[in-house]
Amino acid sequence: MTLSTPSEPIAPAMMQARAGAAGKRSSTLLPGLMLLGPVVLFFVLVFVIPVGLMVRYSFLKQLPDGSLTTLPTLANYIRLATVDLYRGVMLTTLRISLFTTISATLLAYPLALVIARGPVWLGRLITVLVIAPLLVNVVVRAYGWRIILANGPNGVLNWALSFLGLGPVELLYSDWAVVIGSVQVFLPMMVLPLTAAIGRIDPAVEDAARTLGGDSLAVFRRVTLPLSLPGLGAGCTLVFSLTASSFILPSLLGGSFTKMLGTLVEEQILTVFDWPFGAAIATVMVVIAMTINLAYMALIERKTRTRATEAA
Amino acid sequence: MSETGLGRAAPLIYALTAVIMVFLMLPLILPIVLSVSDTPFVTFPPRGFTLGWYAKVLDEPDFSSSFRFSVMLSASAAIGAMLLGTPTAIGLVRLSFPGKAIVQGLVLSPLIFPTLVTGIALLRLFSSLGSQDAYLNLVIGHVLVTTPYVVRTVSASLVTVDPGLEEAARTLGADRFTAFWRVTRPQIMPGLIAGALFAFVTSFDNYAVSMWLFDASHVPLPMMMISLISRMFDPGIAAIASLMIFFSLFMVLLLERLAGLRRAMSF
Repeated sequence: MTLSTPSEPIAPAMMQARAGAAGKRSSTLLPGLMLLGPVVLFFVLVFVIPVGLMVRYSFLKQLPDGSLTTLPTLANYIRLATVDLYRGVMLTTLRISLFTTISATLLAYPLALVIARGPVWLGRLITVLVIAPLLVNVVVRAYGWRIILANGPNGVLNWALSFLGLGPVELLYSDWAVVIGSVQVFLPMMVLPLTAAIGRIDPAVEDAARTLGGDSLAVFRRVTLPLSLPGLGAGCTLVFSLTASSFILPSLLGGSFTKMLGTLVEEQILTVFDWPFGAAIATVMVVIAMTINLAYMALIERKTRTRATEAA
Repeated sequence: MSETGLGRAAPLIYALTAVIMVFLMLPLILPIVLSVSDTPFVTFPPRGFTLGWYAKVLDEPDFSSSFRFSVMLSASAAIGAMLLGTPTAIGLVRLSFPGKAIVQGLVLSPLIFPTLVTGIALLRLFSSLGSQDAYLNLVIGHVLVTTPYVVRTVSASLVTVDPGLEEAARTLGADRFTAFWRVTRPQIMPGLIAGALFAFVTSFDNYAVSMWLFDASHVPLPMMMISLISRMFDPGIAAIASLMIFFSLFMVLLLERLAGLRRAMSF
């Protein structure tokens, strides 16, 4: 609502509405407080303060008798970075997230191209089929992969392989099981922004490149790919940070062989009850997600600025 | 779209698309296939045909009580998120004030913040406060993680509405609330429905917050499913998975029908 007193004539208000954004009037304070006060209060109380407390906790250390040190220390972070077991978990997390992101990129392009450039009916169908699994519980999808990847003759994949005369594989409870499951679960987060980006490219540009003699690969590499990079960036950011902070997939598909930060933090807090160490792992997860997101935002910002300079 | 849209590589792209779609759908179709197997264990290929596992599962008190609990929790979360998120969207779209970007960033930040960590922070908070009411803790956590979706969806709807209409109603003597309720609300109804349904679904599927806050007498469905996977090996578990897939399918159709799936996802 534009903020004005009821006695004002309609015309200026309409003009203001047409001018686009909301009115900048002196009386935004009261409605602003009424509309946004509760949400800010709620988010500060149950989000900002608890996360702050958790981060502070990560700089304490739990002594063998269960009490906490009073002086801040980096001991938890040093432990996470130097103990082989924990460093391994951190590297596994980054590796699996990277493989998942790369695989999702490769699988997302054909889908995004068909949605954006193929027949309208097919595009709609694929969009619905890509979005629909997002509403299916991750636990259920992980269960589906357990059926497929199950080790031994009962697994669907092994059944299919033996049908082809190929040997059984032991995929469940390995890094690859987690990557496969994560790609399937997070692929929509790559396809949707990519589709939006490709949809914004004028097909005439691609046609022009073709007319000028570019083959399909050249058109993709020199025109479609560079112009779709903002969508790809958004997708990679989402897929990487979601994979790096997942729990269900490493827990149900990686088992005790493939541990990621999500399964480690659960173990430390709910089983070992080492809250400070758990808080440190959680803080590292936040740092990973924030780094990726900030890097993407910085890239977008730089690009926009370059374009603005070029235009000027 | 003309056939030149994909160039000469079209057949290859269509073939790849078909394979990828199979990859995407397989884990959703297989549990359904296996749930009707007349065998004592989950095995592939399924043998025989029976609906007995569904009957058995629906009689399972653990499953039905978890389902009811999840529906109640998600409905509460969706109502809370709508009450909190709708005014937020109005404020962010219609007002301009210093610090707006900060408020917007704050409210949308749970979308990029690892949800698992949000849950840990909430557990820390609730145990420091001595708050042992698991249901209340879960509702607070779920409202927190679903509100950003409502804000995003309702905002997207609001920017398409001409504020001048509400302004006109105000000029004609309606108070702020009446003007919103009678003029703007009907116009953003699809956005509101999409927001509420999406909040419900997001809460219904949430495990990253629930896994820290649930207790033995308040077990949301995803947590129940995890514990069943490790102790139930007959096709009953596939039947449970199938029922959850059917439920999601129902929600997809509802979203598509009432609001449009793409709008609900804000893409």
